[in-house]
Amino acid sequence: MESVWGVGGLVLLRDSVEWEGRSLLKAFVKKSALCGEQVHILGCEVSEDEFREGFDSSINSRLVYHDLFRDPFNWSQAGGALPGGPLGALRALCKRTEPGPVTIALDSLSWLLLHLPCTTLCQALCALSQQHSPLGGSPPVEPVRVLGLLHMELHGPGPMGALSSLAQTEVTLSGTAGQALAHILCQRPRQHPTHQTQCFSILPDFSLDLQEGPPLESQPHPDPHIPPVEPTTHLTFNLHLSKKEREAKDSLTLPFQFSSEKQQALLRPGPSQATSNIFYEPDVYDDLDQEDPDDDLDV
Amino acid sequence: MAAAATCGTGAGNKGCTAAAAAAAGKNNVTSFQRKGPRASVPDSGCARLVSIAGTRPSVRNGQLLVSTGLPALDQLLGGGLAVGTVLLIEEDKYNIYSSLLFKYFLAEGVINGHTLLVASAKEDPADILQELPAPLLDDNCKKDFDEDVCNHKTPESNIKMKIAWRYQLLPKMEPGPVSSSRFGHYYDLSKRMPQELIEASIWHGFFFPEKLSPTLNIEPCSLTHGYIKLLQFIQNVIYEEGFDGSNPQKKQKNILRIGIQNLGSPLWGDDICCTENCDNSHSLTKFLYVLRGLLRTSLSACIITMPTHLIQNKAIIARVTNLSDTVVGLESFIGSERETNPLYKDYHGLIHIRQIPRLNNLIYDVSDVKDLAFKLKRKLFTIERLHLPPDLSDTVSRSSKQIPAASSRLLGPDCGVMAGGRKHLDF
Repeated sequence: MESVWGVGGLVLLRDSVEWEGRSLLKAFVKKSALCGEQVHILGCEVSEDEFREGFDSSINSRLVYHDLFRDPFNWSQAGGALPGGPLGALRALCKRTEPGPVTIALDSLSWLLLHLPCTTLCQALCALSQQHSPLGGSPPVEPVRVLGLLHMELHGPGPMGALSSLAQTEVTLSGTAGQALAHILCQRPRQHPTHQTQCFSILPDFSLDLQEGPPLESQPHPDPHIPPVEPTTHLTFNLHLSKKEREAKDSLTLPFQFSSEKQQALLRPGPSQATSNIFYEPDVYDDLDQEDPDDDLDV
Repeated sequence: MAAAATCGTGAGNKGCTAAAAAAAGKNNVTSFQRKGPRASVPDSGCARLVSIAGTRPSVRNGQLLVSTGLPALDQLLGGGLAVGTVLLIEEDKYNIYSSLLFKYFLAEGVINGHTLLVASAKEDPADILQELPAPLLDDNCKKDFDEDVCNHKTPESNIKMKIAWRYQLLPKMEPGPVSSSRFGHYYDLSKRMPQELIEASIWHGFFFPEKLSPTLNIEPCSLTHGYIKLLQFIQNVIYEEGFDGSNPQKKQKNILRIGIQNLGSPLWGDDICCTENCDNSHSLTKFLYVLRGLLRTSLSACIITMPTHLIQNKAIIARVTNLSDTVVGLESFIGSERETNPLYKDYHGLIHIRQIPRLNNLIYDVSDVKDLAFKLKRKLFTIERLHLPPDLSDTVSRSSKQIPAASSRLLGPDCGVMAGGRKHLDF
């Protein structure tokens, strides 16, 4: 899980109906609050009281909660609602200028995807996680971490693929037999993506308990009954030669090689005619008559 | 298509023959004369052939070519990228290798002194330029190249072939760096391009989030807002800097290298990656059409990287391929089941040359090598021929199994039971 913390940017928490991710989101929120970072929460799916439940007062005092759940479309026209709706709230988060590391938790990205066009959301997320200072002054060095909770079953492959391409880290929740598993895909820019699996559990006070590494069953092999193909087995010729065999092979003169000995043998006249004899053994039916063989023809 | 250069060629030819005829009349020699080097052509009467730095005419049809920055890719594309065309790179899944090709293209422009135009919706163009690889200098590059090659060489490959000795005379897939090559340079990925070279180059950046004003009232249009802005920007640069011959300045002709990153991703405002039935499904295709029109009338070459693996509607990919000139697809093995396959263990991915343009030609310039793989070594990006040994396992699947079953169903009932059965006849 440290890889999630190391690099900033967009962190996608993909959960499903069986393995919910809000408790993991709250665990991450608690961890950043304890580290002293500023934490902003955009709450859309659950009420503020429900989100704050389980945190003690020190953490609760550090969370800055932007509530979109109570009145998302600003119908009551009371002062408490956020202006501009969800998009305005996101843009307002982009524009904050306080220094220091910041964690922004979006609960949830699925709600935002259903209420905003996908392209607008992607652009806003990119602007949020990059935090280019519009003043053009000092380059921003503090990492901005954006945690987004995404319900995998609600969206098709299009939005999921688009958000995955934007994310620096993706944590997919699954599990076996009551044990929660997190598959973490960490994709730093211009580096190879790294994949790891981690067992974890969330304690009642939302602290994260990491357990012993990968689960008992290993990653399923694509073909468990067939071993990987090794192309150099079962060959009818010998690919590996011993030293003696190699020497013998090198010293062999090939029949079409024009070496000097062959040249001398061809140029040398003399008793080479003795080598070009024809040996003939007459068969039973052969006629060794020296006369004209066409005599028996009736011509 | 590089109209200025072709006009120059025509005028130069006429001028050369006129001068040669005049010389023949004077000295009573034959009128057949070798076309000497351009420096010896007399100035009187004939236009000088303008040679732009970093370009060369194709040996096949005289088309003006620029290097893509990767000499191996140049060789596969028939010598280089033609001026006035679009090179489309279909990105690999995590956009690691396609961004390398993008950077090679831009670095080649910096080295040759071409003007650059970098457009991106994700990264600031200034940051992209800071990360260009450093060029390999002539005296160091041969040493580095040999050291890379020797690390992977096995002792058996050193033996000269005794029986099949004619195969040693065939040219190898990737020639080593030529010390005096002006076309196509080698780059060292472990080092950055020196700052003074970047500052000496002229570049224009288009960073889309800066141009996007949040309070803008976007009127409905057939082209996505981002694409319109980008086209206007490119058109302005081409017009103001005179790449289309509109500004009659006396300065040296130059090439404009345009690089557009991640075109079609949602960050440009295009939703072809998000849904299958999108509202503006023709936005990207119209952009490519207009872009190609801009390129054909100016001395520029363009590289575009596109995340085609995210595009939901496959018909759009086919249209995009048709609207581009050269299309190269990258498929990396990361995360796929091929990563652990021992057959692919030496390589990082496959490279597919999907389309090569037919410019002023009746035939394609396709190389005969179809299966290519790439490997990212410590300093170099290499493209090699992929030699797959035959698959000797018993369970190799044969796709032709379906065909006998289908044809046996078509046979009438009076055919033998054998033909109607499900058993395949395997010859």
